[in-house]
Amino acid sequence: MAATADRGFRLAAPVATVLIVGCVLPLAVLFVYSFFRVDFVAIVHDPSFKNYVRVANSPTYRGLIGQAILSGGIVAAVTAVIGYPVAWAIAKRVVFAKSACLTLLLIPLYTGDLVRIFAWRVVLGAEGVVNSFLMWTGLVREPIRALLFSPFATHVVLTYDYLPFMVMGLWLAFESLDDRLLEAARDLGARETAIFLRIVLPLTSPGLVAGALMVFVLVVGDHLTPQLVGGSSGITVISAINDLFGTAFDWPLGSAIASSLLLILGLMVTVAALAVARSTWGRAVLGGE
Amino acid sequence: MTPDMRRRDLLKSVLAGAALTTLGGRAAQAAETIGWMTWENLAKDDYLAALIEKTGIKIDKTFIGTDDEQFAKLRAGGASSVDLITPGLDKVEFYVASNLLQPIDLAKVPNAAKLYDTFKATNLGKKDGKTYGIPFYWGINPIVYRADLMDKEPDWSVFFEGDKYKGKLAMRDYALEGIMIAAMYLGIPKDKMFDLDDKQLAEVKKALIAQKKLLRTYWSSIGDLTNLFATGEVVCAFSWVPPYYDLTARGLKMGMAKPKAGVIGWCDTIAIPAGVTGARLDATLKLVDYLLGPDYGKKLAYGGPYAQSTSSVRDDLPAEQQEKIFIKDLSVMNSFVWKANPPRYTEWVALWNEVKAS
Repeated sequence: MAATADRGFRLAAPVATVLIVGCVLPLAVLFVYSFFRVDFVAIVHDPSFKNYVRVANSPTYRGLIGQAILSGGIVAAVTAVIGYPVAWAIAKRVVFAKSACLTLLLIPLYTGDLVRIFAWRVVLGAEGVVNSFLMWTGLVREPIRALLFSPFATHVVLTYDYLPFMVMGLWLAFESLDDRLLEAARDLGARETAIFLRIVLPLTSPGLVAGALMVFVLVVGDHLTPQLVGGSSGITVISAINDLFGTAFDWPLGSAIASSLLLILGLMVTVAALAVARSTWGRAVLGGE
Repeated sequence: MTPDMRRRDLLKSVLAGAALTTLGGRAAQAAETIGWMTWENLAKDDYLAALIEKTGIKIDKTFIGTDDEQFAKLRAGGASSVDLITPGLDKVEFYVASNLLQPIDLAKVPNAAKLYDTFKATNLGKKDGKTYGIPFYWGINPIVYRADLMDKEPDWSVFFEGDKYKGKLAMRDYALEGIMIAAMYLGIPKDKMFDLDDKQLAEVKKALIAQKKLLRTYWSSIGDLTNLFATGEVVCAFSWVPPYYDLTARGLKMGMAKPKAGVIGWCDTIAIPAGVTGARLDATLKLVDYLLGPDYGKKLAYGGPYAQSTSSVRDDLPAEQQEKIFIKDLSVMNSFVWKANPPRYTEWVALWNEVKAS
């Protein structure tokens, strides 16, 4: 056993090293910088909590962090609602073309962010597909300009972009769901609602939680989509950090906002994980009870 | 001769040869190959062909995507591998403050004498009377508009007043220029523009929040803005020049306005990193002089099309081309507002973000 464990550590060492050097170390440097201050182009190594106080006192940065979390939550919820039946259908109803369905689902991801964003502009623009159709049918006389360059457009595109991540997580959960449990429940007289709430939902919840977390984190970190389809409301906390690191050369304040965001996200994930682990169904799934 | 001896001899010969090649190569390189960190469109082979033919100097190009990237590279120790860089006129002081540049001996750059007066007079790019960044090429960032969809030539007020074009305007997503435009609209004098006090910043913020309600979007890539003009999403924007020429060439009736209240001028400089000395410095100065001279100027005037900061080629260009690069009527320079670094720039960026998040 000890030899196997040793071999496991040795095999994991390269990946662990890459993670530490490529991810943890830069984040640690970012965190240390957040306590410094900037004097023109010089970073003054004079540690204080001033940057964090500025973030806490700024309605703008607080609001942007809140907005990122809200957007992440909304898109995670919408993708869950849309993705749940899709994942169920692929796992339980499609027999022959299962891999084709999954590939179809992933095709948008092969095209790259920008292509997807510009395709949506063609669909939602003033002279786009939707507006042209609405005007052709006579339902509207003027194009609905709020379809594009609005928070609505941002959330539509984000939902489309990240739906595959939700479906993939859920699909795996549905694949491992034993249909005999459902049959047994039906035989014992359970209603469909009870079967869904007491068997299907708890047993697919690991996929739901994994998909939701993935979508949530990706949405919080996406600044390109809001920038290109969100119009004048397209600012995100990430683009604000980018401004501070770039033109303003205020790396410490940018680092403080980034670290605050990371801390809040970390806390939210921990609380969510604890809540799941403490719930009855969470214990059932994780603990095998 | 034993096999061992033969091996030793062979090894010696190879090592000696390698050493000679390395030393010889480096010596030759030092005399003739210079590294230029610049924008891709400024270092096309045919732009530099005349210099290479005349002097034998070879140019090793490194391309940059943003000025910030160039600064970051130099700060991270990249200065040792490059002999000439291309910072924006307003950014030179960052490099000087970081001790990354050396003063340029203008006596060794004869074409510098032909700099337009506005570039000779500016304090940007200089410190303690010494020039660290020589203005190299320049242009303006005007208002570009769809002349077929607007009644008259706009000025800055179109971005702040009325609602005729509400939802059809765009502004660049850049705090510095956004606040400069608001300051020009509010009538704040050019010489006070970068030292706004709290009251002025509050007025600017109020104007920018009013502006946001009129905007379709903030643009961040010029290709994207061109696209927005073409699809009619945007009819008027604070822009760069390319959409005007690109869309005119595609048959759209475009207009370009240069408001009397002030036009934002941009200018890039050429600057020499602190560690460049000896033969490499001499060769670099030859390149600097060439970049300010007529051969390069002509290529840039047609190829860019951009204007050099010197008058080297002006009189050889037809009036139409002069017009295209804004050097036919040099009085346009009187309304120029050069970008500079506001001492409270972090607050400017915070204000810009507050406006966008409002």
